[in-house]
Amino acid sequence: MKTSRALIPWTVLALLLACAAPAAAFEGEQALYEAARKEKELTWYTAHYNSESAAAVCNGFEKKYPGIKCNYIRTTAQVAYQRLAQDQKAGLAVASVFSSTDASHYGRMKQDGWLQPYRPKNLSELIDAFKSFNDPGDMYVATAAGLVLLTYNTSLVEAKDAPKKWTDLLDPKWKGKVSIGHPGFSGYVGTWVVQMRKLYGWDYFKKLELNKPRIGRSINDTVTMLNAKESWVAAGPSATTLESKDKGNPLAVVYPEDGAILMVSPTGILKNAPAPNAARLFEEYLLSRECNEIMVKMRQDSVHTAVKPLPGARSLAEVKTIRPSYDEVERGIPEVKELFRDTFGI
Amino acid sequence: MRWRHLDKSVFLWLLLVAALLVLVINPLARLVWSSFQDGATGAVTLDNYLAAYGRWRYLEALVNSLVLGLAVAAVCVVFGVPMAWAVSRTDMPGKGLVWAAILGTFIMPSYLGAVAWILLAGPNAGWLNRVYMGLTGAAAGPFNIYTMAGLVLVIACYSFPYMFVFTRSALDLISSEMEDAATTLGAGVLRTTLRVTLPLTLPAMMAAFIVAFLEAIALFGVPALIALPGRIQLMTTTLWQFFEFPPRVQVAAAYAMPLLSITALLFWLQQRLIARKGYAALTGKGGERRVVRLGAWRWVMLGYCLFITSLSFFLPMVIVLQAAFAKAWGRGFSLDNLTLANLRFVVVDQPITRAATVHTFVYGGASAALALGLALAIAYIVHRRLVPFGRALSYVAMAPFVIPGIVLAIGFYAAYTSPPLALYGTAWILILAFTTRFLPIAYANSNAAIRAINPELEDAVRILGGGRLLALRRVVGPLLKRGLAGAFLLVFIPATRELSSAIFLYTTGTQVLSVLLFDKSDEGNFEYLSAIGLILVLGTVTLVLAGLRLVGRDFMLTRTTTT
Repeated sequence: MKTSRALIPWTVLALLLACAAPAAAFEGEQALYEAARKEKELTWYTAHYNSESAAAVCNGFEKKYPGIKCNYIRTTAQVAYQRLAQDQKAGLAVASVFSSTDASHYGRMKQDGWLQPYRPKNLSELIDAFKSFNDPGDMYVATAAGLVLLTYNTSLVEAKDAPKKWTDLLDPKWKGKVSIGHPGFSGYVGTWVVQMRKLYGWDYFKKLELNKPRIGRSINDTVTMLNAKESWVAAGPSATTLESKDKGNPLAVVYPEDGAILMVSPTGILKNAPAPNAARLFEEYLLSRECNEIMVKMRQDSVHTAVKPLPGARSLAEVKTIRPSYDEVERGIPEVKELFRDTFGI
Repeated sequence: MRWRHLDKSVFLWLLLVAALLVLVINPLARLVWSSFQDGATGAVTLDNYLAAYGRWRYLEALVNSLVLGLAVAAVCVVFGVPMAWAVSRTDMPGKGLVWAAILGTFIMPSYLGAVAWILLAGPNAGWLNRVYMGLTGAAAGPFNIYTMAGLVLVIACYSFPYMFVFTRSALDLISSEMEDAATTLGAGVLRTTLRVTLPLTLPAMMAAFIVAFLEAIALFGVPALIALPGRIQLMTTTLWQFFEFPPRVQVAAAYAMPLLSITALLFWLQQRLIARKGYAALTGKGGERRVVRLGAWRWVMLGYCLFITSLSFFLPMVIVLQAAFAKAWGRGFSLDNLTLANLRFVVVDQPITRAATVHTFVYGGASAALALGLALAIAYIVHRRLVPFGRALSYVAMAPFVIPGIVLAIGFYAAYTSPPLALYGTAWILILAFTTRFLPIAYANSNAAIRAINPELEDAVRILGGGRLLALRRVVGPLLKRGLAGAFLLVFIPATRELSSAIFLYTTGTQVLSVLLFDKSDEGNFEYLSAIGLILVLGTVTLVLAGLRLVGRDFMLTRTTTT
């Protein structure tokens, strides 16, 4: 009893220190926090990550900044945009922060005047390679990243036989065993298709059709197809595949020799944000070290210079990545959707 | 007419008609209007229709959907009618088990069933194919879920409960007198059943046929999982293109409009077929219902029931259980792969699941009560010709079902985000949307129920000096009470699994389980998907059983006490 009572002052001191320590993560944080706390809560429409990760980010934010409630609506990119468009049309101010995986949404939102500029102080922590994807007018910044790479079921395919580069998927030995998503449903797949066309021409997909790929909706459907052993190899996502592998599912990823497709997903603050200060604070948080540490545990890729991924995945700084420019994505996706439907008949 | 002689119930009818207009016409009219509007300027235009129907691919999808709808409805007859007859009229053993399995089938969201069926009958690695290959030594199995036949089977598995419930409640009302007449004239059991008993249930069967047909056309989840990989273009998967960036919701609305005329056509056909015959089964003259003795055939009948429910419930449930309790479902079944972590995660670690469970059941219950009350009243008004244009009213009550939920949601959003009904962000927008969306099921069921009541029963009250409301309270009400619990479930259960309209209308305080489930299916996380699905199925079954006990019905929807 005596010793435990003697510990109390020390515990209190330690707690005080713990609370005080992270106070100065970036310049002006305290003032922004004060202003944000007056707004009490913010709503975040997000298509980044899966719902568990979105919940974890919100929880982390609420812990770091007590007194501000974080509400998230996690859906797919097109549904998120459609919701926002309805809100804007009805003149409703619901969301303060908007995170889509479809880069072409941002050009349109900027043009329509739905966004407000903010340059996060934490931008200095962002991996250099992403900086070129930020809006020069500060309307949106890259806060999340992911890869499209080659994936396979390890109980069906040995590592030495697994495809090493994108053209390996055309090998007749994978006939009826390849799984891909649909560019009409998934921004990840759309970007992948645009990049493949850029590298190998549309011929790539005509040849792929000879292998009769199993076409799902979302890129995440490839994970289900591989786990079900319905497909053996796939063009799949890094995060969902590794997360499923962590649970013990027989999956593995290959970083293609000709380049993993880098997906850059921006975040923007809405002009009619009901909680503009909380939104700014939240955008800072998305770029912070704490948030990215939560992300890598969920197998999402880090955009923070100092946060490295868990074993089994490689840091984005070390992997050969390729990606089309925003412009190529914006113009290319509608084109390849039509071509895709002509070639695959769906 | 002097006030004193005016039947006061007229005001009640007018009020109900007004409610129907607010709930159905308001969102639908906005939808129709938007189909003629230019997306950017709001000017009146026909361009949306040109965009929606200007391509052969889009028309082909519509034709495929119609074929799918007809095939599904036909399979529902083959699945549902014999089971309904066996449960209602025969001495088949194991009726409780069969009914429980059908209840479970009805509760299971069809996209969860579709994922399970991919694992059962996937052409490369489906369990059924592997069993077949193991038994015969063949190099490939015969089943391929990624075909039109596979799609029809999966959708029919989750629609035939409508056929079962509708037909069964009709069979429960038919007395044995007419069957006896047939028997007296020398007809056997089979002949009597086919020529007398089942034809009497025709209105109910047609109502269920229409419901199954419309649901199959408007479904999105199962086609996304099976038709897309099977390379079959359908209306709903095509519709999705209009929601792609940049979204063209006006074109989506235009694309869905012809479905309203298809519904009208179905109605006209139904009226034509039923019009000149009398189907009033429930008359003032008592009448008993005797059980048909099947002899050895009762085991054949049970076998058939269990075969169908295995397809729809038992086999998919095995898959769901395996995944819900697996650390990694891709590893298959083994003892060291068992865990409770998935259930614990979705129940304990994600408080959102608990909130969503409560929302799901509260919204489902509220909208089922609203839809059922309104549907019964409208059906009554239409059949007793209490207001002019009754036929039009019944069409209005059925119309919402054919518009795919994702398009209907646009109408709801427009109707309920601006004054006088600014409901966005509240539970009411979901409750009203579900009410409108499932009013057709409630209406189809109520319509069949009211049709079966012979008006002479009420006329007796009125001849004796009672008013219309007294007749309702003392005669019609008690007669309907019998089927009420079943009718409530028919709306409650689809409302608990409704996804497509909920996905645009929920906000952070009003999530429902179906949305969580769909998120998981989109995230490739089958362990959590199954765990939430299991909670939905078990939770609903528990609730339904407790509810039935409360209203004094047993498992089989018959009275527990013989009063």
